[in-house]
Amino acid sequence: MKRIYLIGMLMIAVAIALLVNAAGDTSTYASFSDASAMGKKVKIAGQLSKDKKMVYNPEKDPNFFSFYIKDTKGQERQVILLGAKPQDFELSEQIVVTGEMKGDAFVATELLMKCPSKYKDEEIKIKGEAI
Amino acid sequence: MEPIQYVGEHLLPGKIGQFGIIAAFISALLASVGYFLAESRKSLPESEGWLKIGRGAFAVHGLSLFAVIGVMFYLMIRQYFEYQYVWSHVSEELPMKYIFSAFWEGQEGSFLLWMFWHVVLGLVLMFRAKTWEAPTLAVLSLIQAVVVSMILGIYLGFGEHAVKIGSNPLLLLRQTMDAPIFNNAEYLKLIKGNGLNPLLQNYWMTIHPPTLFLGFASTSIPFAFAIAGLWTRRHQEWLKPALPWALFSGAILGTGILMGGAWAYEALSFGGYWAWDPVENMSLVPWLTLIAGIHTNLVANQTGQSVRSAYVYYLLTFGLIVYSTFLTRSGVLGDTSVHAFTEMGLEWQLIFFLVLAFVGGYGLFFARYKGIPSPPKEEPLASREFWMFIGSLVLLFSAVIITASTSLPVFNKIVQFFNPAFQGRVITEPIAHYNKNQLYIGIFITLLSGLAQHLRYREWDWKKHLKRYSVHLGIALSLSFLLTYLTGLWIEVKAWQYWLLLYLGIFTVVSNTDYLIRFLQGNAKAAGSVLAHAGFGIMIVGVLASGLNKKIISNNPFIMEGLIEGADDEALRKNILLFKNSPTMMAGYELTYVHDTLNVYTRTYTVNFKRKDAQGKVVEEFDLHPNILYDKSFTKIAASNPSTKRYWNKDIFTHIASLATVEIDLEQRQAREDSLNYRPVGLIQGKKMSFLDTVRLDNPDTTLVRRYSLSLKAINRSVKHPDYRPEPGDLALSARIQVEREEEKEIFTAEPAIVLRNELMLSYPAQINELSARLRLTEDFLRQIVAFEEDLNYQNIALGVGEEKEILGIKIRFDGFNRQPVNPDYQAEEGDLPVGAQLSVMNAEGNRFSAEPVFLIRNGQAFDFKDMVEELGLHLRFPLLDPKTEKITLRVARSLEDGSAVPVDVATNSLRSDYIVLEAIEFPGINLFWLGSSLMMVGLAFSMGVRLSARKPKAA
Repeated sequence: MKRIYLIGMLMIAVAIALLVNAAGDTSTYASFSDASAMGKKVKIAGQLSKDKKMVYNPEKDPNFFSFYIKDTKGQERQVILLGAKPQDFELSEQIVVTGEMKGDAFVATELLMKCPSKYKDEEIKIKGEAI
Repeated sequence: MEPIQYVGEHLLPGKIGQFGIIAAFISALLASVGYFLAESRKSLPESEGWLKIGRGAFAVHGLSLFAVIGVMFYLMIRQYFEYQYVWSHVSEELPMKYIFSAFWEGQEGSFLLWMFWHVVLGLVLMFRAKTWEAPTLAVLSLIQAVVVSMILGIYLGFGEHAVKIGSNPLLLLRQTMDAPIFNNAEYLKLIKGNGLNPLLQNYWMTIHPPTLFLGFASTSIPFAFAIAGLWTRRHQEWLKPALPWALFSGAILGTGILMGGAWAYEALSFGGYWAWDPVENMSLVPWLTLIAGIHTNLVANQTGQSVRSAYVYYLLTFGLIVYSTFLTRSGVLGDTSVHAFTEMGLEWQLIFFLVLAFVGGYGLFFARYKGIPSPPKEEPLASREFWMFIGSLVLLFSAVIITASTSLPVFNKIVQFFNPAFQGRVITEPIAHYNKNQLYIGIFITLLSGLAQHLRYREWDWKKHLKRYSVHLGIALSLSFLLTYLTGLWIEVKAWQYWLLLYLGIFTVVSNTDYLIRFLQGNAKAAGSVLAHAGFGIMIVGVLASGLNKKIISNNPFIMEGLIEGADDEALRKNILLFKNSPTMMAGYELTYVHDTLNVYTRTYTVNFKRKDAQGKVVEEFDLHPNILYDKSFTKIAASNPSTKRYWNKDIFTHIASLATVEIDLEQRQAREDSLNYRPVGLIQGKKMSFLDTVRLDNPDTTLVRRYSLSLKAINRSVKHPDYRPEPGDLALSARIQVEREEEKEIFTAEPAIVLRNELMLSYPAQINELSARLRLTEDFLRQIVAFEEDLNYQNIALGVGEEKEILGIKIRFDGFNRQPVNPDYQAEEGDLPVGAQLSVMNAEGNRFSAEPVFLIRNGQAFDFKDMVEELGLHLRFPLLDPKTEKITLRVARSLEDGSAVPVDVATNSLRSDYIVLEAIEFPGINLFWLGSSLMMVGLAFSMGVRLSARKPKAA
């Protein structure tokens, strides 16, 4: 057999092995109860609870931002982000946080927001005040 | 209902543009057919005619497309907001220099940019490609037709089953949405544009997209050559003309990708140059396969081996460009990427494009497979071509792995199509995931880049050169060992894989340098290759240094304890709080937030960095200027732009992570101002006024009582307040007030101001951070000091020079005339005869002031300009001058009784808001990354230049 076919087959085998292995790097969006049960880093997608308190007092600690989200199962928990409050946070609806449960709170290391587009096409801006 | 006759719309340019789009589409199809027939009937005499048709149609296509682009720019520059695209991307405030950025901000504009480059490249082909003109342009024109269809915006079929083809950039706003405003025939007078996203308002947005799209467009040319080679069965000949194009494409696409990285690093607050974002990945992957294609192309040129591989890679490269277009423009990436476009209903059209690129390309490839020459003999194990082939396989492997991971959202969509209950999977930690796999690929590629350079093509007699190679490799390997050891002292290398990669990266640099010195001796052809490979090695070292040792140095030294358990979380606390003018230590630097300035929407902060030696002497000092961009309503931060200190061996990258809410949002600031507990305090000149302030403490249930004392020091008409910008006609007053608090030794001074501008009353409060106190002046203050002219009860006195009289409890002495008087209300004109009366004023307490009202004769008419002693509420006018006796008549009035108090508002619950939350990251060796990656592109471009000049016929 040609050398090249051997090499090709070897590469395919490694590629398959890597991709199978990569499945371990992926996860589905977890719920808070999953996160408590698993005790490791997970991603949680949820709705921002706008009626609950958001705390960010940079004067006290610029790396502490706390808010509440409701996960896909409807469970509501406090989320603590060890970082600054992202800009436009209030506008976001869907939030994805990566982190783990610590006691009753979910401590996030990363946060992704899905904002309704900054420039909503449905809104037509009107010049000045007077119409 | 009768159709509304809209007023002020400019419909003609739109119609011209629409016509241009359709003409561009049809002419592209025609060019493709013409060129196709010119090639397929080459032996027939009619071929020449078809060629002419092809050329003519392509020229018409180019003109039509330029016309469309021209119309779009015209509409955007004229700000015709009746057009949806103009309305979406332009606004009245948008500076002209961003008009290009606004043009390609949207999907349709970026398609036009892509097509623009296709036309430019197609024209070059038309003049340079000779026998390849017809087949390559047939392919390019077909691609062009498919891309034009993306902006066609026509409907096929009727009613509910109509299929939309393309998204037209020249639609009117009222055609794209239903809003009540369109019931108004004069709606145009009422709307204004949305403008360019502030995040994109920088020069990167001007240069990055055109470069990247030129890179995208240029991959079509090797693709077209590959198709042409397969089609005409000239399997060997296409390789030579395709190579410079592929090198060009590699250099431009690579530069485009790097610019993206530089943009992310320099102007956005992502904190890095590469984040394995799906959009980034999908621009890198075609570049990898293109580089693989270049290597096999070189092998094929030299040895006749690997022709099939060259086909495979060039076909794949363009296919991946289309796949990348599909991923970023179909909306399938959804929330996994920061810079994907939103859905536009082009999914099926993009899928069609994708299928066409892959099935068309590879269909032809497999149909011709048997005929493609492939020498039966294998490459010798010690030959350069063998290892180049292996290297290109590794690159392909890398591309496959990255594409597979990036395509996870596509996989999710497919599975969900069959099983709606399937929950999509996501990569938990993308950066770690990609790095893990690409690390080993990096090890392979650096190894090959270092070794293969010394090998020779068609090396059958390995033993003859073995000795020489061994010596060179031995030296390179041991020198690299030493250099790796030294590098290890500088950066922290955490695992053996990184050590290996670092070693091999250095080996690549050393080995290629060695090759350049010893073997080249003026062989320019190989210099490009050496540059590119050494550049790759340097880049790898740079990636390791800056990536592995990227360190967040803004850890807050005042961490609230007990909030969170677990030590590893401390590393995540990555922001530092800087109060204005309070030096804070950070990673060996003393940081001071010095000041900030607001220019239109941009607030720029000056942060001073100082490094001191053991004696406290400053050994290094510099300022960084991170800024933030407010949105138009000043209610949020639209963008936070970093500022970076560059050392030769590291960067210190800073950006503003947050501000006090009241500094972000004007509405919040107003709300805060309203929520303050202001109390009026009456102040009398020269007297100290005190009040008791009571503060309820949360816990325990106690009340804190403190005494504040205020005294009015001066009232000024020349107001110097940081937020106040004087305008002509302003009536401005400020009060300098000293504030003391019991048990606080220091005495603080504040100078709040109040300004009357036309009918607006503007208040400029002053904050004393140390006392959490805020002072402001109210309308009452202004009314008492300045008073309305009609409320004043003027009395006349006559005074000679040197004479003093008492009036309204105040002594006024007339000291003399001033022929060049200065008065805020008086502006000198040619022919004026002004006279100022120099007055000394003393009140009952013996405080002395001076004043100078002005009398003016202009064009034979008399005017007078009032002066005031604000502290006394004293108004002085000078309406009359007796030239004979030199006696003046003064009109004097007081708006303030002797001993009466002026009111000032004081709040004692005003927390300071003059701080920034800063993130600072140190990137060691990042310059190696930029240097190495730039060298790679230079090497590619150099190789292209060498090959182009080699192809030119030598002058006789």
